[in-house]
Amino acid sequence: MDVERPPRTSWGARRWSMANAPAIDCDREPLVAAAIASGTWTDGSDRELIAHAAGCPVCRDVAAVATALRDDSASARQEARERVPAAGIVWWRATVRARAEASRTADRPISVAQGVAGACAVGLACGVAGAAWQSLEWLRRAGSIITALEPSRRDIAAASAVILDHAFPLVLGLGACLLIAPLALYLVLSDD
Amino acid sequence: MRDASFGEIARLGARSDEADETFVMDEETFRVFYDRTARALWAYLSRTTGDARLADDLLQETYYRFLRAAATHDSDAHRRHYLFRIATNLVHDHRRHLRPDRVQMSEALEPVDRRPQADVDAGTARRVDLARAMARLKPRERALLWLAYADGASHEEIAAALGLKRSSIKLLLFRARRRLAALLRRSCPGSPGEDRHGR
Repeated sequence: MDVERPPRTSWGARRWSMANAPAIDCDREPLVAAAIASGTWTDGSDRELIAHAAGCPVCRDVAAVATALRDDSASARQEARERVPAAGIVWWRATVRARAEASRTADRPISVAQGVAGACAVGLACGVAGAAWQSLEWLRRAGSIITALEPSRRDIAAASAVILDHAFPLVLGLGACLLIAPLALYLVLSDD
Repeated sequence: MRDASFGEIARLGARSDEADETFVMDEETFRVFYDRTARALWAYLSRTTGDARLADDLLQETYYRFLRAAATHDSDAHRRHYLFRIATNLVHDHRRHLRPDRVQMSEALEPVDRRPQADVDAGTARRVDLARAMARLKPRERALLWLAYADGASHEEIAAALGLKRSSIKLLLFRARRRLAALLRRSCPGSPGEDRHGR
């Protein structure tokens, strides 16, 4: 069987492919589409156009695709009539959503400020606790020096030791208050 | 769209005059525009996604984005193209995030035809064939074919709605049309468009 093959040279191959490429459009393609859209295609009133489409690959494809899609379009629009909500509902939903988004956007800087304030409070509490711990160490050293200095002042040393024993839980309590207070404030204010 | 609770709605107390300031058009203009475009847009979304429920959601989302967009429109046609462009982008976004196990092309096949039973059966069979064939096309091919042959849009209008170059529409449409025609012929071999070689 004789089969036409493309030439081997690149120039020849290009000429061959251009000559044998399928046509991508036809002058009568819009007429076929218009006939299908207007309904004259199905009643067969334009026989000449139908005969042309039977022989033209482009118009034949247009006829097949446009007929199927036109039918489906009518069906889809019928379906849409039952499913598409009223304009008022779509407007109302959009309004509610826009306002909710605006509200969230407005709340964002406040949340950031609250977060920063919380972080500052925790940092401050840690700083105070550290400073209190250092002062405790210093007092302990001072107490031992006093004890070593003079037996007559032992009563002072004993007194300072008593203070030291009671001061530690006091400092811890103060630190805990500093930590809890911002959290409690945040929880109370966040309800508003 | 995230559902707002009743508490939120009550607190927000949506007032239309404030909404007018947020959106690109007032309520009355929107109603007119919506009534002109909503059904065609739903049909487009339904057939390009193959899912009627998804089309419901995307319709609402499309109009919301359209209303929030700070865009100016020269004409009603331009406004309509812009709306379809948003819808097309939403369909693409949805496909990108789609889980592979999700079943599509389901509800779109439910018959809603009110013609006599024999016609309905034939019509439903044609619709099923078309839905199956459309499902095998690329999303852009579906959109191109729907706009060209179901909506009757010109090449300029298709290019504007899909964000493509006008010069490339002819070739893309030719390829999409050829694919769909071949799939339709394969699904119903006795169709009038089939030539003697079955092509």
